[in-house]
Amino acid sequence: MAHGAAAGHGAHAHGEHDHHPTGWKRWVYSTNHKDIGTMYIVLSMIAALLGGMMSWYIRLELAEPGIQFIEDTQFYNVLVTAHGFLMVFFVVMPAMIGGFGNWFVPLMVGAPDMAFPRMNNISFWLTAAGLVLLVMSAFVGGGPGTGWTVYPPLSSIAYHPDAAVDFGILALHVAGAGSILGAINFIVTILNMRSPGMTMHRMPLFAWSILITAFLLLLALPVLAGALTMLLTDRNFGTHFYDPAGGGDPLLWQHLFWFFGHPEVYIIILPAFGIVSQLVSTFSRKPVFGYLGMAYAMSAIGVVGFIVWAHHMYTTGLGVNARAYFTTATLIIAVPTGIKIFSWLATMWGGSIDFKAPMLYAIGFIFLFVVGGVTGVALANAGIDFALHDTYYVVAHFHYVMAIAAIFAMFGGYYYWIGKISGKQYNECLAKTQFWLFFIGVNVLFFPQHFLGLAGMPRRIPDYPDVYAGWNMVSSFGALLTMLGTFLFYYIVFHTIRSGKPAEANPWGEGATTLEWTVASPAPFHTHEVQPVISAGDHGHGGHGHGAHPRPAE
Amino acid sequence: MLGAQARGINRTKLTAVILFAVVAAMGGLAFASVPLYRMFCQVTGFAGTPRTGAYVGTASAGAGAAGEVTVRFDANVNSQLPWQFQPVERQVVVRPGEEVLIHYRAHNFADKPITGTATFNVTPFKAAQYFNKIECFCFTEQTLKPGEDVSMPVVFYVDPQLFEDPNTAEVRKITLSYTFFPVETQAQQPSAGEKAL
Repeated sequence: MAHGAAAGHGAHAHGEHDHHPTGWKRWVYSTNHKDIGTMYIVLSMIAALLGGMMSWYIRLELAEPGIQFIEDTQFYNVLVTAHGFLMVFFVVMPAMIGGFGNWFVPLMVGAPDMAFPRMNNISFWLTAAGLVLLVMSAFVGGGPGTGWTVYPPLSSIAYHPDAAVDFGILALHVAGAGSILGAINFIVTILNMRSPGMTMHRMPLFAWSILITAFLLLLALPVLAGALTMLLTDRNFGTHFYDPAGGGDPLLWQHLFWFFGHPEVYIIILPAFGIVSQLVSTFSRKPVFGYLGMAYAMSAIGVVGFIVWAHHMYTTGLGVNARAYFTTATLIIAVPTGIKIFSWLATMWGGSIDFKAPMLYAIGFIFLFVVGGVTGVALANAGIDFALHDTYYVVAHFHYVMAIAAIFAMFGGYYYWIGKISGKQYNECLAKTQFWLFFIGVNVLFFPQHFLGLAGMPRRIPDYPDVYAGWNMVSSFGALLTMLGTFLFYYIVFHTIRSGKPAEANPWGEGATTLEWTVASPAPFHTHEVQPVISAGDHGHGGHGHGAHPRPAE
Repeated sequence: MLGAQARGINRTKLTAVILFAVVAAMGGLAFASVPLYRMFCQVTGFAGTPRTGAYVGTASAGAGAAGEVTVRFDANVNSQLPWQFQPVERQVVVRPGEEVLIHYRAHNFADKPITGTATFNVTPFKAAQYFNKIECFCFTEQTLKPGEDVSMPVVFYVDPQLFEDPNTAEVRKITLSYTFFPVETQAQQPSAGEKAL
C-alpha cells in the first residue's frame, strides 16, 4: 500500500483549504489534471448525446422498409458520418484517455500532476474546438456524407463540392493535434514522474493501457494528418494524390487511412482493457492474474495493430499473397487478446466477487468483447470477408467489439470512480437497473444485425427490401431500450451529483489497491503533495502480488 | 535532491522532444509512402507494375507450344480527353523471351492540340514482374495536333521466368491495359516515374 502517512496527509490536511482559481477561470485556464479530466468527461457526455441521437434517428428510419423520415439521402449519409466521428473522436477518446486518463494516471503512478499542465489545457481546448468544427461541418452545404472513412473519390471536390468536407478535415486536424499533445503528455508523465518504487512492472494496468494507447496515438495520428492534408490539397489546390488522372491513386487514401484507422480501434479499446482490469481485480478482491502477461499482451496488440491494416481492404483488388499475409497477421491478434480474456476469467476464478454495478459492466464488457472478437476472427479471413464486406455483419462486429464494449468500460469506470471524482456515491439500485436495461438493449440492437449481414443487407443505405424487415424492427426496438438506458444514465449522473451519499476515500474495500483510493473523496485539488513511496513488499498496485492484501491506509 | 530534480526536468524535456520528433517522422512518412511504395513496386513488379528497360532476355530455348502466352491489349480514354485510342491488334501470341512490336492508334477529335499521358498496368498482377517493356509511348507525354492520327508503338517481351515461377506457371493470358488522361497544366505534369503507379 502507499505509505499511509504520506497519502493520509494529502487527504486530510488539504481537503478543505485547497487554494485554486474560482469561477470560469478555474476551468478555461485550468492546468489541473483533475479539472481537465472532468472537462473531458463532460465534453464526451455532450458528444455522446449528439452521436446517440443520430444513431437513434438512423434506427428510426431503418425500423421499416421504405423511406419514413429521412427523405434526403445525403442527410442520411451525413448522419452516419457524424455518428461515427462523434463516437470515435469525441466520446470514447475524450472519456477514456482525456477523462479517466487525466484523472487517474497521475494519481495511480504517484505524480502530482501531468508533466506539462499547460499543454494539457491546450489538448482539451483543441479537442473542444474540433467538436465545434465537426458539428458546424454538418451545416455547411450538404454536409459531409462520406462515412467516417472519407474515401475519395466520394470525398473529392467532384462529389462534395462545398466546404463541408474541408470543415470536417479541419475538425479532425485540430482534434488530432490535441490528441497528439495529450499523448506526449501521458508518455512523459508515465516514463518520468512515477513515485519512487513505482517501477514499470508495478504500475497499475490502467496506467499501462494509457501508456500504450499514447504510443499508438503518437504513431497513428500523424499519418491521418498527412492523409487528410493530401485530401485537402487535392480538393483545393489541384494536387492529385488520390486522382488517377494526375498519376495518383484513391487506394493510397485507403492504405494511409487504415494505417491510422486500425490502430485507432485499439486506441479505443486498450484503455477499456485497462479499466476492466482494475474493475475485475477490485471486485474479485484478487490481484490481476498474470499481471505481466496482461501488460505485455496489450503491448503486443499495439505492435501487431500496425501491420494488419489492409484487412479493411480485402475487396480492393489486393493480390492473393497480400490477402494471405493480412489474414494471418490479423488472426494472430487473437492470441494476445485471448491472454487478456482468460486472465480476466482467471482473476475472477476463486475470487470473492462483489457484483456491484462496475463489476457488472466489466463482465458485460468481457461478454460483448468476446462476441465481437469471434465475429472478428471470422471476418479476418479474406475469403469470408468477400461475402460479408460492407454488410451489416461488419456493423454488428465492430459495434460489439469496439463501440459498445468501450461504452461498457466507460460506464464501469464511471461508476467505479464517480465517488472519487465528485465525492458522491451513485445509487446502486439505479445503476444496476441501468446496466440491465443497457445490456439487454445493445444486444437486442446489434445481435440481429449479424443475421441481416449474413443475409446480405448492405451498410449505409437508408432503405432495404422487405425481406430484411423483421430483424430491422427488432434491432430498432433494441435501440429504443438502449436510448432509455442512456437517458437513465444521465439521470443517475444528475441524481449522484445532487443527492448522492458522500463517498468514502475507498468505498470498495480491500480489493481496491491502487493509489487513487488512498486520497480523500472527492480527491483534493492537489494530491500526492508528499510523494508516496512504494516498496517491494507493497504488491498490488498492478495487482500482481499474491495472497491477501492489507486494507489501504486512510 | 535539487540536482536530481533538475535532471528529472531535463529528462522530461528530452523525452518530449524525442516524442515530437516521432510525430514529425510519422507525418513525413505519410508523404514519403508514395515514393517509397513506387520504388518498392518498380523493384518487385508488385501490384501489376510492369518492368521497363533494355532487352535482357534470351530468345526462348526449348519453349514449345505449351510455352506460348497470349498478350491482349486494352485501351481506355478518360472522358475529359477528346481522343479515340485503340490497339491495332487486339491480341498477339508471343513466345517467352521473344521481342515483340505492337501498335496502338490515337486520333485527336478536338480543334486544338492536346497533350495526354497514359497510365498502364498488367493483369494478372502476379505476371507483371515478368512483363518487360523496352519501349513505350507511355514513357513520355504525347501531344496530338488537331485531327492528327498517330501510331503509338510498344516493344515488350515476356520473361521466360514466367513459366518457372510456380506462382505464375499457369498464366497463359496477360492483359496490358492503358488509360489516357489529359495533361491539365504544365505545372502538374507527372513524371514518367509517377505514372508507374
